[in-house]
Amino acid sequence: MKLCSLIFLFIISLGGVLLPRDFDHRDIPIHENGRIKPLDTFVRNQLLLIYGKRSIKSNALPDELNSKGLSAIDWFFDIALNPEEGDKYKVFNISNPEVVASLGLYWDPGHVYNRREILSGIKNQIDYIASIQGKPEAELAQFDIQLLKVYSNVIQYQALSYSLSCLLPLIRIQNETIAQSLSVNPGDKLSYYQLMRKANQLSPLMERLLNLDKNEWSESDYELQHIMGVLNEIDQDKFARILKIIPPESGSQNDEWQSPWELMESRMIGPNQENLLITLESYLKSRIENDAVKSDSVIEEYEDLLSRPFKGLFNLTNVKLETWTNKANLFYKSIAFYILAFLLLVISWMTKPKILRRISYACLLGGLAFHFYGILLRIIIMQRPPVSTLYESIIFVSLIGVICASLLEYNRKDGMGIFMGAIVGGVLHFVGLGYANDGDTLGMLVAVLNSNFWLATHVTTITIGYGTSLFAGVLGHVYLLQTIRTPFDKKYLKTVNANLFGATLFALFFTLFGTILGGIWADQSWGRFWGWDPKENGALLIVMWQVMMLHLRITGLVKPMGFALGMILNNIVVILAWFGVNLLNVGLHSYGFATGIAINISLFIAFELITGLGTYFWAKNRQKQLTAY
Amino acid sequence: MPLRDIINFLKQPKIFVFAIIWMMMLVVLGTLAQKDMGLFAAQNRYFSAWITWFWYLPMPGGRLTLIIILINLSFFFFNKSIWKIKKLGIVILHLGGILLLVGGGLTAMFSSEGNMVIEEGAQSNHVEDYHLMELAVINTSALSFDEFTIFDQPLLKRSQILRHQNLNFEIEILNYLENCAPAKRTSPAGIQYKGMMKNFMLNELKPEKEDNWNRPGLIYQINNTGTNADGMYGIFLGQSVSQTVSINDKDYAIILRRQRTYLPFSIELLDFKKILHPGTDIPKSFSSEINLIENGAVRKILIQMNEPLRHKGYTFFQSSFIEGPDNETTVLAAVKNYGRLFPYISSIIMCIGLLFHLSQKLPDLFRKSREKIAS
Repeated sequence: MKLCSLIFLFIISLGGVLLPRDFDHRDIPIHENGRIKPLDTFVRNQLLLIYGKRSIKSNALPDELNSKGLSAIDWFFDIALNPEEGDKYKVFNISNPEVVASLGLYWDPGHVYNRREILSGIKNQIDYIASIQGKPEAELAQFDIQLLKVYSNVIQYQALSYSLSCLLPLIRIQNETIAQSLSVNPGDKLSYYQLMRKANQLSPLMERLLNLDKNEWSESDYELQHIMGVLNEIDQDKFARILKIIPPESGSQNDEWQSPWELMESRMIGPNQENLLITLESYLKSRIENDAVKSDSVIEEYEDLLSRPFKGLFNLTNVKLETWTNKANLFYKSIAFYILAFLLLVISWMTKPKILRRISYACLLGGLAFHFYGILLRIIIMQRPPVSTLYESIIFVSLIGVICASLLEYNRKDGMGIFMGAIVGGVLHFVGLGYANDGDTLGMLVAVLNSNFWLATHVTTITIGYGTSLFAGVLGHVYLLQTIRTPFDKKYLKTVNANLFGATLFALFFTLFGTILGGIWADQSWGRFWGWDPKENGALLIVMWQVMMLHLRITGLVKPMGFALGMILNNIVVILAWFGVNLLNVGLHSYGFATGIAINISLFIAFELITGLGTYFWAKNRQKQLTAY
Repeated sequence: MPLRDIINFLKQPKIFVFAIIWMMMLVVLGTLAQKDMGLFAAQNRYFSAWITWFWYLPMPGGRLTLIIILINLSFFFFNKSIWKIKKLGIVILHLGGILLLVGGGLTAMFSSEGNMVIEEGAQSNHVEDYHLMELAVINTSALSFDEFTIFDQPLLKRSQILRHQNLNFEIEILNYLENCAPAKRTSPAGIQYKGMMKNFMLNELKPEKEDNWNRPGLIYQINNTGTNADGMYGIFLGQSVSQTVSINDKDYAIILRRQRTYLPFSIELLDFKKILHPGTDIPKSFSSEINLIENGAVRKILIQMNEPLRHKGYTFFQSSFIEGPDNETTVLAAVKNYGRLFPYISSIIMCIGLLFHLSQKLPDLFRKSREKIAS
């Protein structure tokens, strides 16, 4: 029953992709960091940078709004449509109390502030900021780094909130003469861009203004002067050019996309680009006027204008898919299912073992389905194999671990697989979420990695190797724990030990061929099979460790318990090869360098050493007691 | 029987276990050492060394350890118990392992690698070694040809005397500097200094972490020619004006350069292209459009990341580039490796062996568990 409802739920969420969805403002394609993505992803990442989360929680919202949260895209349109009112959102998250104090602000547990509050503090510090700006990061104190970050966040925020101001209807035309020459109705509001397009129509009036003495000016002349003043004011926003949403007129992959302000400045606007800008302008206008019907039809028009002339540049279906993926948060769902599976399993140990265990297994499989689907969507969106960054490797290793555990559970049907799967899936997911908060998790790749064939073969194989190795390590833990629990149940322990041996062989298969395939890739692109690079050595160490353990076991130099301990220690080797070599910061593979990782690695090593050795000696002791009887 | 005893000793899996534990130690040490001493030095000390010295204690280096493993692995086949259908996978797997080690040995012994640096519009017909230097003495007296005399790296060491029938003088090496920097003299030089050394001196520097960042230098002396060419000279890698001497009506240019290997063909760089992902600094691709010129025949080829050129046993990879003010220079890595195919073959063999073994063993390892629980 539960399984049926799970499948049903899964199909519903699948539907989000299978059923075509209308294009909307979230899907507006934008070019950032070499990739075309939906506006939704872009603003989520901007918000993540400034605020530390991908959507706004109630602590940053004004009280009168009385709302629980705000999505990044709604926040963006709010500050872009009313740049002057953006200060109501406290989106600047400053986690360093020293920086807060230096900006003259009060530290409170929420530590979120709005732009105005920070700007006045920054103004007092501007000389200091200028003095540290050019320095290399190594010479800066933590305070300096945080202060610079706040400073650059303010700039980023301003660039975001003024990015569309040239398209906003900000200039009211009151005077009839001017309205007539612009062929609009008096009282209409025009945008900067609209006025620029009609600049020719104003030139006779302008000429008059320049030739007349000020005391001869009529009302229309004064208004014209006022309009010029407003134009000049809006022109100050032209620094806000991060919103690169207009594709190159040429439609070529290698040309750059441009932001509205860049186009205003260059004045080289192609006909297709002009159409887009005008449609965007009327879209913004309809949003300001709260005209939902009109904004819907305008955005449809925008989709039309995008799809024809710029067809070869991007796949709009994938862009929409990415927006959907952002919202669906599949990995949160899978993590919830893994936790649920674990809890149900624990309860099943106390009561109703059979039914609860089955439900728990269904939950694990449900989590696995979301997990798998999330990875599948990333493959479709990026058009590349699943593993190319550290973040992706974590999510993928976790998937492999859960698959292995599910297969084990299918085989044993005693809850052991669920236990392991929930732990591997849950823990690695959490680690992955930490990495996801570094920014866009769908980045572009440097030239040498830009090869789908090798990414698909070597990287995927070695990552499966990491996953199966970790699985074997966890199985080693289970074996020792079971030996402590039931040292007399020799038959049962023997089956677990056989599973562990099988898992090790399985892991060796992937680590060995992943490593050799890596060598072959290196031979293909660098001209040497093996170069003793740290990452290569790391992979080699895993292989050697596993080969050593297998030979120790076969020759009888270690007993089953020693073998289990060896596979637990293998986890340390895996983690060092996977993350540790990035700490060395040498070699060709340090593309995933991360500071602060050292502490986590040391904690993990300490944990494995203590629990591994601890349970090993405890289990040994238990067995000794048993033989003494 | 002593022979049987030897075989029995050599085939013990214990040897493998100890050797691989030692190898793991070396890999760990050699990896950590890269942070301080750089890859080349760490490789020489731990991986490609026969003996690694720990203070005054000689221990087997990577090469010796791997040979021990290879010998032990070869004697594995003297085990009678492995020649069964059930163990076929294991036998195949170990065979693949032997091939992999043999291939590694061949590569370590016979492969050569270097750089080919070509400016746009220029040609090159030689590969420069990454690490080894050579001293070229060029007789430029003849109008129609130059006569080259080359002294290889092993000869370039302190108090070595270089002589050759081509030369009517001798060079005595006073010092070879692994890394140096020319510095302008602040006081007038002694009368014994000639050439560049009249105005400059060579300061010895600590070797850099990466060997190819070093700028080697050489201080040498020309003796007993009876001309005013006698004296002390200095020379360094990449010197912009080469040292010339004239002795008894013969003119020589003396150059310290990276050791060259000449190829039976030459390569002309037509165009180097670097493409970035638009709007970023992330490179999308590097490529060199070249002409391969051999016996007057010209072939146009594109070398790019992950797509090297293979020709006459050499493989040319897009390795690096130098951006100049008006044109670019490509750096191709050139490799000649006789052991190239071994990893490919051995990985296929090992794959087959392990799959065979897994297909026999895995169902067993997992099925049994269920039956036993049921019973």
